[in-house]
Amino acid sequence: MARGRLTPLGWALLVIGAAIMLAPLVWTLLLSLKNNAALVGHSEAALHGPYTLENYAAIFGNSLTTRWLLNSIIVSLGTTAGVLVITSLAGYGFARLDFPFRRTLFVIVLLGLAVPSQAVILPQHQLFAWLHLHNSYPGLMLPGLVAPFGVFFMTTYMRGIPIELDEAAMLDGASRWTIFWRVILPLTIPAQSTLAVFTFLGSWNDYWWPLISATRSDMYTLTVGLAAAQMNYAQTSGLGYLMAQAVFASIPIFIVYIVFQKQIVRAMAGTNVR
Amino acid sequence: MSGTRDWRGLLFVAPFVLLYGLILVFPLLRGLWLSLNQVDLFGAGHFVGAANYARLARDPIFAASLMNTFEVTLMIVPVLTVLALALALALNRATKGAAIFRGIFFSSAVLSVTIVTLIWRFVLAPDAGLLGDLWTALGWTPLPFLSDAHLALPALALTTVWWSMGFPMLLFLAGLQQVPEDMYEAAALDNASRWTTLWRITVPALRRTIVLVVMLQTAAQLQMFGQSQLLTAGGPSGASRTAVLFLFETAFAQWQLGYASAAAEVLFLIILAVTVTQYWATGRATAQGK
Amino acid sequence: MASLELKGVRKAFGSTPVLDDVSLTLESREFIAFLGPSGSGKSTLLRIIAGLETADAGEVWLEGRRIDRLPPGDRGVAMVFQHYALYPHMSVRENMAFGLKNARVSKDEIERRIADAAAVLEIDPLLERKPGQLSGGQRQRVAIGRALVKEPKLFLLDEPLSNLDAALRLRTRVELAQLKQRVDAAVIMVTHDQAEAMTLADRVIVMNDRRIQQVGPPMEIYTRPANTFVAQFVGSPAMTLSPASLVQGEGEFAALTLGDGTLVETRVPRTSLPAGELRIGLRPEAVRVARSGAKAKVELVERLGERTLIYARLADGQPITAEDSGNSRVRIGDEVSLKIEGASAHVFDAEGAGYHRAES
Repeated sequence: MARGRLTPLGWALLVIGAAIMLAPLVWTLLLSLKNNAALVGHSEAALHGPYTLENYAAIFGNSLTTRWLLNSIIVSLGTTAGVLVITSLAGYGFARLDFPFRRTLFVIVLLGLAVPSQAVILPQHQLFAWLHLHNSYPGLMLPGLVAPFGVFFMTTYMRGIPIELDEAAMLDGASRWTIFWRVILPLTIPAQSTLAVFTFLGSWNDYWWPLISATRSDMYTLTVGLAAAQMNYAQTSGLGYLMAQAVFASIPIFIVYIVFQKQIVRAMAGTNVR
Repeated sequence: MSGTRDWRGLLFVAPFVLLYGLILVFPLLRGLWLSLNQVDLFGAGHFVGAANYARLARDPIFAASLMNTFEVTLMIVPVLTVLALALALALNRATKGAAIFRGIFFSSAVLSVTIVTLIWRFVLAPDAGLLGDLWTALGWTPLPFLSDAHLALPALALTTVWWSMGFPMLLFLAGLQQVPEDMYEAAALDNASRWTTLWRITVPALRRTIVLVVMLQTAAQLQMFGQSQLLTAGGPSGASRTAVLFLFETAFAQWQLGYASAAAEVLFLIILAVTVTQYWATGRATAQGK
Repeated sequence: MASLELKGVRKAFGSTPVLDDVSLTLESREFIAFLGPSGSGKSTLLRIIAGLETADAGEVWLEGRRIDRLPPGDRGVAMVFQHYALYPHMSVRENMAFGLKNARVSKDEIERRIADAAAVLEIDPLLERKPGQLSGGQRQRVAIGRALVKEPKLFLLDEPLSNLDAALRLRTRVELAQLKQRVDAAVIMVTHDQAEAMTLADRVIVMNDRRIQQVGPPMEIYTRPANTFVAQFVGSPAMTLSPASLVQGEGEFAALTLGDGTLVETRVPRTSLPAGELRIGLRPEAVRVARSGAKAKVELVERLGERTLIYARLADGQPITAEDSGNSRVRIGDEVSLKIEGASAHVFDAEGAGYHRAES
């Protein structure tokens, strides 16, 4: 824990810092609660009333924004579920089973951690075009399933489970699959929840791949749709509405953050190197 | 346990490995191939060897985008590291207040780049933005952050620092909690002042975390895209175009896939080189110091 | 019919040999101890029998069936691990039922077996708890219960008493002895503690350096150790080994002199001894402090209450361990006389092989 008390100067700086952190968020919220016409040319009008919820009503009335929300939910949940399944399977394979090329394959997977997404995005785009997977849910989810970090994470965690449990299960007549399903997997639940939260967040906030793969506006995720709305700002309904969309897009993510705070903090502590 | 080398184990890793091969390894190799070709939208290309790379070397726009990327990274990483460290040091206590502050400083990190740029566009815009309104209220002319060539990169940097505070702060907090108490107690017995304790005990103990944060953030900011595209569209006149934005525009606006692939490979190499250098340099320092 | 048979088992980890041509036969319902120091290969042997390791060469037979090619679950063998290896996320009942479910035993049968085992081991109140909520001794009983319900032909116990504190150890020793009576199966226990082996086993298999050193009932191991390793590993404190020379003569039994000249008249047949260097083996109880005998200088005294152990040196510098009564007055530095009971002496040749008094 920290040593000593914070000086008054320290407190003042903290408060100023917090104000700087919060001010843009508050500003956005206020803008979203104003009638659009009132804001034209006078954005400072946001600092005082009257406030209205009409922009939010418009969002729910607008099928496109809600469609974006649905897309984000489907893609993020699907990616998360998919990642958990295949990284658990792969993690068990690497951690517990012995098969030809095991070491080589693991190293190849680890090397993937060093590859930035730009190095592969163009050929990926080409590939998905050949497979006719653009503008589809599978197309949006598949790249997210390729998570070398997830495999590394699950493998490491599973390696930490004492091998005596596997041995006892073998003597109990359990097949490899049964050991995975009934003994190892239930013991990885903390790791699963951490990986799930990170995968979900990463998928939800992903701008890069959905931007390139989803070219039809009804297949945008919320993140991409918001960017498109931003660019069309001049032609669309107005500043208040735009900001309401921003707030709307933030709500799901804040909910996840608040509910899963523990997992996030624990994961940070885990990845830290001593 | 010496199990039999059983090919059935492959079945467990197969789903991941197959996807990995298809969606990462194959494109990685294909990208290299593409960079050696002149390719258009429909994939029909012809081999041009290293011509794309030669062209890149002479391309002033690419060079400018690289410079911008380096500049903005240099603007962000030191400031971000110091601020996050300071926050972690200040907030590493068990009080409710500290928890609230930690939550506040982390809140921006969960937002997507599109939300963040949307918010900051209307903070920085001189006519409709928060800062603009504030400046006007104080009687000053608002700064044209997003349209002035000298202010565009700082604007990106400012936005990114605001956005990226959370994770480094958490990493430092976790690192601080692993510093053994007895080191502080020994320092107290040795009558060390708070400043000395900070510099000679805490910071060296956090060495590995600091290195990790710097390496991760450098790699991340070298890949900056969204802020550049959405806040300033790389402008004015390319003053804030990052390397990845260059890549994006070359590939998806001009449809020069081969050329863009070459740029992607160059960027990949740069990031790799920077990361390896950082790792090696800090490794050497560890061997000599401490 | 033999219950367990090992034929020529060999095992190496990489280039390190761990087991070297091990063969043995167990009779049904025998309680056997594999006794040896760490690295002797005893745990590896146990794991090979269980199926957790595969031997490089050799065969394993259980009740007339060859099992070394079968997966562990099909061998009819149950194991109690050193650290119990209970499934942490399952209740005690589920832990015990797991193996039976995999073997597709009927629900009623599972319930019955669990109830019986729980009654025997007195773990009924624990059935719904998770292993994390149990004490060490309770966990061990659950581990035993998990093995019991499988009604195996062979029980394997891996260092069952090592993890327990002294009081619990004695209690568990009693429980294991009772278990031995109850089950209709052979039991193999691996241990490095010779007291455990001696008290529980019908036969002890002493292992060292990748090989079996001796097989036999505990008393035979103790009174007729096959070589110097067994002689010094079993029995606490260790047997004294001292170089000695054979006295030439014509008597039925060999007489030897120690380095300091003391004559020891053994009951070992003279003709059984080979030529060459010899050593005498004397257990502390065969060397007593007396009014006359070999002179020795006391270096260490251990008062145990019912007896006192004296560690001394003979005139020629050879160490010797002796016993005295519990209220002995001997102190460090004293010169004492030691009476050596030649009838209990053992003789060992240059290769370490042991020669003992003729059996009557």
